[in-house]
Amino acid sequence: MEREILIVGLSHRTAPVEVRERFALADGQLDDAYQRLLSTPGVDEAVIVSTCNRVEVVAASGDPEKAVPGIRAFLERLPAEPLPLRAEYLFVRPGAEAVRHLFRVAASLDSMVVGEPQILGQLKETYSRAAAIGATGAILHRCFHKAFSVAKRVRAETGIGTRAVSVSSAAVELARKIFDRLEDKTAMLIGTGHMGELAARHLLAHGVAELIITNRTFERALELAREFRGTAVPFEHFAHHLRRADVVIGSTAAEAFVVTARLVQGVMRERNQRPMFFIDLSVPRNFDPGINEIDNVYLYDIDDLEGVIECNLEERQREARRAEELIDREVQAFCAWLESLAAVPTIVALREKCESIRKAELEKTLATLRDLGERERRALDAMTAAIVKKILHAPITKLKHSEDRRTEDYFIDAARRLFDLDDPERK
Amino acid sequence: MHLVLLFIALALYIAATASFLGHLLSSRAGMRRAGLWLLGAALAVHSGAIFSRGVEQGHVPITTFHDALSLLAWFVVGAYLFLQARYPLAALGAFVSPLAFIFTVWAYMFFSGARDLAARLPSAWLPAHIAPTVLGYAILGVSFCLSLTYLLQERQLKAKARSGLFRRLPSLETLDRLNHQSVTWGFSLFTVGILAGSVLAKSAWGHFWSWEPLEVWSAATWVLYAVLLHARSVGWGGRKSARLTIYGFGLLLVSFFGVSLVYPGRHGLG
Repeated sequence: MEREILIVGLSHRTAPVEVRERFALADGQLDDAYQRLLSTPGVDEAVIVSTCNRVEVVAASGDPEKAVPGIRAFLERLPAEPLPLRAEYLFVRPGAEAVRHLFRVAASLDSMVVGEPQILGQLKETYSRAAAIGATGAILHRCFHKAFSVAKRVRAETGIGTRAVSVSSAAVELARKIFDRLEDKTAMLIGTGHMGELAARHLLAHGVAELIITNRTFERALELAREFRGTAVPFEHFAHHLRRADVVIGSTAAEAFVVTARLVQGVMRERNQRPMFFIDLSVPRNFDPGINEIDNVYLYDIDDLEGVIECNLEERQREARRAEELIDREVQAFCAWLESLAAVPTIVALREKCESIRKAELEKTLATLRDLGERERRALDAMTAAIVKKILHAPITKLKHSEDRRTEDYFIDAARRLFDLDDPERK
Repeated sequence: MHLVLLFIALALYIAATASFLGHLLSSRAGMRRAGLWLLGAALAVHSGAIFSRGVEQGHVPITTFHDALSLLAWFVVGAYLFLQARYPLAALGAFVSPLAFIFTVWAYMFFSGARDLAARLPSAWLPAHIAPTVLGYAILGVSFCLSLTYLLQERQLKAKARSGLFRRLPSLETLDRLNHQSVTWGFSLFTVGILAGSVLAKSAWGHFWSWEPLEVWSAATWVLYAVLLHARSVGWGGRKSARLTIYGFGLLLVSFFGVSLVYPGRHGLG
């Protein structure tokens, strides 16, 4: 009986959030949902993947034509009040397409932010829950574990997850290329705009030791200083404290430059020319662009940071293409394994393997016993053939007549592994 | 035998250079690993070359221009790999490997007709003069590579990091700190070499100092590095320091090669 992987569901690519949210599954409903799903005709094994970006049923099926409408009906009954699924919300991936889809989801190629790392953890948890409930068998076991190892390879062999794609993380990435370590550095936040606060939070999370905060409304600075365990300084005096700051974030609503190149030149002399990094997150800009011309001083405004991100996104796209190639190869290997997972070819392979071992050993033995007559030789041949046949009788019967499909898959998979029947290239 | 090994080392230096450049341009991690392995292999083969040369000569091979150059290349690579084991400095390999290649090619070219100074100056002060000088030069060579990397990274960051290259280069502060440390070490060894040289000159010719062209150039180089080290304390770190290090090494190469070849004084090595 041939098996196929099948995925039916909806994701951020096919359905808007107001539709997806109605299908989200609460933990308490899982047991019940799996029970209904597994009683759907044609569904042998199943995993329900439910995250904020997708609700998908991954199934192993011996009869996809029956299973698809069944799974669809199952999905339609998930919301509190049954919702007929509009055709465009739903996608169906059969066979190799389904395997590719699962591998791509695990490797975070199908995520909203390509390369984000959470999805793999969510998928692992989803799978182990389904396995605990008993909804999975040999096929989905292998398929999901392959998906996890493919995701790991993609992460290790391509640069897909290593690029900063937010303004704050781009700022941290740059700071790390100017400074050796952030743990002995001080940051100053001028103004308390939202972006500035976010960047300061990010820098602190990445080890920056101290934060100085200044703002025209001093109370607001004090408030933030309490939250970040920083020091607040009055806005009129911030220039005096500037020399202590290695990273300076500008985030005020000022119309004119708050920090001029002249001021920075003086500060650099006081700092003995130790490097400074200015991050200007406001529009209109807070920092004089001439600051970037000063030796050992680096200034990035919001457009510059966006530029870094854009170049990172492009690089992610390039890396994503490499990941797709890697996944293509793994999908092929998996499908080859799945095809081999049928009783008849397994029995044939098992017989062939044992027969070839028997023949080889027999020849070796006969070569050392030259004085045997034709009769004895034939007797030895018949005896070894009988041994092999008797040993194989029970396993082959089990393979031919399993009580249900899942047990059959299990035995076939076990036989292939125990007797090493898989073509090594396909592993 | 040792020339064959040296030739293999040359090929490996070229291969390492190509890998390191490939890593800088394409970001493939495999290229970085390949570069490091190739350079390590080159160092091993080069060690074999120096060893077999030593067996041939019956002492540490250091007393001809050829051997000094070969040793210089070997020290540069050794010093780099020593640093690389402590800091992620793979980008530096793109400068160190070609430098080692050039020195080794020079060593190759100067093999025939290299005079053995040991014959003229059978003094223990001769190796005591050459060894620290060559090691000092090598460390200053590494600081030269650190400075080139620094300037490259500085340019990336000033130009708003539009290419992904900045990601594969070390941070400015790391480069600057290592540059300072290596200049300090290289300069100290260079100083020891000069002092040992003047003792050697006194014992051989009766003068500590004789205003030979090589001596004058070396003194100028020494002064430049001394200024560089002092200038740091008054805020000449970073880009200025990197530039001075590059000039200093240029001066050093001129004194080591140019002067020795053009003016055949007592140091005439060719």
